[in-house]
Parts: sequence; C-alpha cells; structure tokens
Amino acid sequence: MPAQQTNQPLPAGFQLDRYRIARQLSLGGFSIVYLAYDEDDQPVAIKEYLPNSLALRGAGQIAPAIAEEHLPAFRHGMKCFFEEGRALAHLNHPNVVRVLNFFRANDTVYMVMQYERGRTLQEHIGKHKGAIREAFVRNVFTRLLNGLREVHAQRLLHLDIKPSNIYLRTDGNPVLLDFGAARQALGNDGPMLKPMYTPGYAAPEQYKAPDQMGPWTDMYSIGASMYACLAGAAPQAADRRLENQALQPAQERWPDKYSMQLLETIDWCMTLDYLERPMSVFELQKALAERHHVAHQPSWLDNLSRHFRQLIRK
Amino acid sequence: MKFTIYQESRIGRRRNNQDRIAHCYSRDALLTVLADGMGGHLHGEIAAQIAVQYLTEAFQREAKPRLDDPFRFLASGLENAHYAIVGYTDERNLPDAPRTTCVVCVIQDNIAYWAHAGDSRLYLLRGDRVVTRTRDHSRVQMMVDDGVLTEHEALRHPARNRVFSCLGGDVAPQIDFSRRTPLKAGDVILLCTDGFWAPLGNEALARGYATGDVTAATPAMMDCAEASAGESGDNLSVVAVHWQEGYDEDAASGVATETMPLDAHTTQMQGFSKGGGAEPDLTEDDIERAIAEIQNAINKYSK
Ligand SMILES: Nc1ncnc2c1ncn2[C@@H]1O[C@H](COP(=O)(O)OP(=O)(O)OP(=O)(O)O)[C@@H](O)[C@H]1O
Ligand SMILES: [Mg+2]
Repeated sequence: MPAQQTNQPLPAGFQLDRYRIARQLSLGGFSIVYLAYDEDDQPVAIKEYLPNSLALRGAGQIAPAIAEEHLPAFRHGMKCFFEEGRALAHLNHPNVVRVLNFFRANDTVYMVMQYERGRTLQEHIGKHKGAIREAFVRNVFTRLLNGLREVHAQRLLHLDIKPSNIYLRTDGNPVLLDFGAARQALGNDGPMLKPMYTPGYAAPEQYKAPDQMGPWTDMYSIGASMYACLAGAAPQAADRRLENQALQPAQERWPDKYSMQLLETIDWCMTLDYLERPMSVFELQKALAERHHVAHQPSWLDNLSRHFRQLIRK
Repeated sequence: MKFTIYQESRIGRRRNNQDRIAHCYSRDALLTVLADGMGGHLHGEIAAQIAVQYLTEAFQREAKPRLDDPFRFLASGLENAHYAIVGYTDERNLPDAPRTTCVVCVIQDNIAYWAHAGDSRLYLLRGDRVVTRTRDHSRVQMMVDDGVLTEHEALRHPARNRVFSCLGGDVAPQIDFSRRTPLKAGDVILLCTDGFWAPLGNEALARGYATGDVTAATPAMMDCAEASAGESGDNLSVVAVHWQEGYDEDAASGVATETMPLDAHTTQMQGFSKGGGAEPDLTEDDIERAIAEIQNAINKYSK
C-alpha cells in the first residue's frame, strides 16, 4: 500500500451534480471537503468519500482509480461513510452540522452539508495560545453539549470529538462536525481502513476495549478538548497515559488562572477509568453551568485577596 | 398542467434505429426523455433503451404526483441509468460497452429542469427565438465555445459526432444541469437527437416551431431534416412540448391533468425492443438504497 499518495481535489468550477466546486477546504485521510455553490448560488460544504489508501485521483482525473483488490475495502468504507450521512441526517440541531443532500457521482459518494462560516476551535486555540478565558470555555462547551446530547439521544456516539471537529460560527455558536462514529466499524475489516483515533482526544477504551464505549467515551474527548483550550496543545494520548501517566491534572497546572470547579470538571472528564467519568452529557452540563462558586477570570481583586491570604498565612 | 406533446422517431437512412424517446406525466409533473445509442458501439440501442426505461420507471415511482426535488431526481436518475447500463455490460461480458447520450427534462409548477450528457439537445423556444439550449459534450462544441469554429461550421465538422460524455462505458458521465427555468405560456421545449438538429441548424429549427403547433411542425421539420441530410441521414428523433399553462382551455389535442388521480401515470414510449431490462448487481442496489434512505431521513428531519 503506497502510504504517501495524496489525492487531487476536483478542479475549481467543476460541476458536481447540481453544485459548482469553488475550492478545497480540507484534505483528510478519508475524505476531501469542498466549498461549492448550489444552483441558487448558496454556499455548501461537500464532503467527498476518498480514502487515500484505497482510491487515488491523479492530476486531471475526475473519477478516482481504485485497484481491483481494494474494491471490497473501498465499498466497505463507503458503507461507513453512509453511516456518517445517516447519523447526521437524523439530527436536526443548531449545534450539529446539517446535512442537506447525499448523492453518488464519479464512482464515489458525496455528502452535502450546510456551509458554516467561522473557524475550527483548533484554529482558535492556535491563535490564542494560553489566553483563552474561562467564560469562553464554559460557553462554547455548554452549547456544544446541547448538540452532543441530541447525538446521544439518537443512540449515536460521535467518537471523534476534538478541536478540529468543533467549528465556531462567526456568531460564536459551536457546531459539531465530522462524525467519527461512522468510522467506528472500519476497524473490523482488515488493515486498510483502520480508524484514525486522534491521539490526545480519544478515550482509552477506544484503543483497548471498544466494547466498553458509551456516552462516557465522548466525555473523555470533551474533557481533552477543554484541556487543549487551556494548554494550547493536545494532552498526552490516553494509550500513553495507560503506560506512563505523565499528564499533569488541570487542577495542578492552572490553579491560578481558572476556577477550581472548571479544572475539576476537566479532570473528571479525563479520568482513565470510564466508570469515574460523568455518565451523561446532562451531568457534565450541570457541572459547567455551576457558576455560583466560579471566579470567571481571576480579576485583580481575586489576585489581591489571594495575595492577602498568603500574607496572612505566613 | 396543460400542454400538447408530440414525439416521433425515424430511422433515417440507417439500418436500425438506436434512438429512444419517451414521455410520462402525473397530475403535477411531466417527464420527457430522449436517448441516442452510440452508433460505433455494439448494442447502442440497448443502452438508449435502458436509459429511457430507467428514467420513466423512476419517474413513475417518485412523482406521486410531484417530485420532491426535480434536480435530485435528474441527478440520481441519470446516474442510476448509467450504472444500469454498466451493470448490463458486465453481466453479459460485452466486450464493447454500450453507450448512449441522454437528455431529460422535468416540468413541474411551470418550471423546467433538465440535464444531459452527450450531444442530444434540449431547446427552449419562445416565439421564433432560441431562449436557451444545452451545450453538447463534444470537442466541436468546445471549439465553438472557444471561438475556433462558428456554429455553422460545426454542423459540418467531421468530428461533430464525437462526444466525451455519455451514459454507459467505464468513464462516469459528465452531466450538465439547467437552472430552474420558469416557463411562459406558449413556450416550446424540444428534445432532439443530432440527426434532427444537425441538418437543420438553430435558426431554421426555431423558425419551424414559431407557431407552437408541435403536432404539425414536428413531422414537417423531420421531413426537412431528412431531405437535407440526404444519403448519410442519421436516425432522428424529437419530443416536443407546447406548454400552455392552462390558458388554452379547449385546445382539442391538449392534455389537461387536473382530473387525474394522484397516483396515476400516463406513459408513452416508442421504440421499445425486447431484452432491454438491465439488472444492476446487488451491491449497486445496496448503495442506491442507502442513499435513498439517507435522503429520506434528510427530508424527514429537516422539517
Ligand atoms: N459544514 C462545513 N462548513 C465549513 N467548513 C467545513 C464544514 N465541514 C467541514 N469543514 C472544514 O473541513 C474540515 C474537515 O472536515 P471534517 O472534519 O468533516 O473532515 P475530515 O477531518 O477531513 O474527515 P476525515 O477525518 O474523515 O478525513 C473541517 O475542519 C473544516 O475546516
Ligand atoms: Mg475532521
């Protein structure tokens, strides 16, 4: 299997079904996402199923080349892409990306989504390294959890929650993207399309005990994403933590910068033992909404009083 | 809906007719479809037959009595027709894949939607003017668009029959879609194969239909086309619709659909031959089912 092949995007201006391709938004191992316009000139995001280990589109080609021996795996992956479409089609929530259409073309399949303007939480973290405020974290995640609650209510797990799959609309409202649940099944069918758990955000049971996955598995990823907001980078990966726990708990790392209650909540989500984590979105939302003993952002007054306390203790 | 429709297919000077045409309507929607099997390929007429049959059957399934989304219908209909032809090819191990052009139009709520692959054309005629027409998927059309050839020169160009998009074969078709096109009373929507448009040219064709009387104009224009093409005359086929938008209440030959039951369809096909039914293999079916299911969910949950 040639590991380093990259797929060419469809060219700008290409008429794909009833959409006109404008440009590539992202290139993943499993798919390409495009910005396109429909016949009413409305922007949409189109995700093209194109696993680069199985299908290759060279320069100037439209339909990807799929080697005979990869066809079963390609078809199987397509099934999983359908799962993503099916999952999203059943969800209609402002904090979950809307799927608008699903169709077949160029020997592969496409999912049309509402195009969201804004940027990913990943990009936001990159721009504000170490300067993300507590109110922002509480706000974004409380609203995002509304969407996740809907996902879980449909008996679906996301399984790939991470800052690059959390989109911040320009109005600040977060949207959950990229349903990794779709790819969960992929592990069973040979080595070609192994699920790509993002190190740092996947829960330990995703590596070790997939039969023990549940809503708590997404909780771990939510906790790790919040941790990344504070740290400016992904936390130590769960599989590594199991071997050699080197992750500094949020409570130890930022006691002066964020409220203890928020830090506790993050550490709670990131407990290795899933039985110890919040069991449901609702439980976690309650914790994030607990604002009565929250110092939103250590103000000069807080700092001053802390300083005084220390003085007194001496 | 109120319209007059006329369709005819002629063999020209060829040994067999590889063109296929059909129309079909429910109370609220009209489908017209035309396909030109590829002469150079074996079983061209089978490909054309599969395409026309597939689209009419899909229409009968989905127009109850309206299509939820005409563009989606066109896209999935043409795509499925392509795969049905490919499936037929594989099943019989045909060495040379049958192929066909296809142009298909849906009219619903006085709005026309069409799509095509190849060089069979749709013309929207108003008065004696061509309001719009499809652009052929041919090198010759590209040369015209690039200004290298005039429309007139293109009609006689030796490569004018070479198309780069069609249904069937191992390259997925390029399908072009129209915009949502509102119709006016009196408009003529004309689907035709190159055996018809090439010998006539756009201007003659528009003039010929200026009266809107498709029932009289079509056979007369076909005579002209045949005469002009002479010995080398190709198969020629036309589906012509005179859209009346209910203005012309007592036109004797018009079709009024208001009294049709919601699930009734009227279908006219021409050039049906035996052995045309294609059975796409199971996996293809699975894919279509999955997509249909997702689309249903999208529709259901988007409300
Ligand atoms: N609906 C959308 N609106 C705007 N941008 C989007 C949308 N969907 C995806 N994107 C952009 O494309 C990127 C990748 O999308 P997504 O996470 O769904 O796919 P991916 O990570 O490439 O998928 P995979 O992991 O399956 O290869 C996002 O990070 C975002 O920048
Ligand atoms: Mg992603």
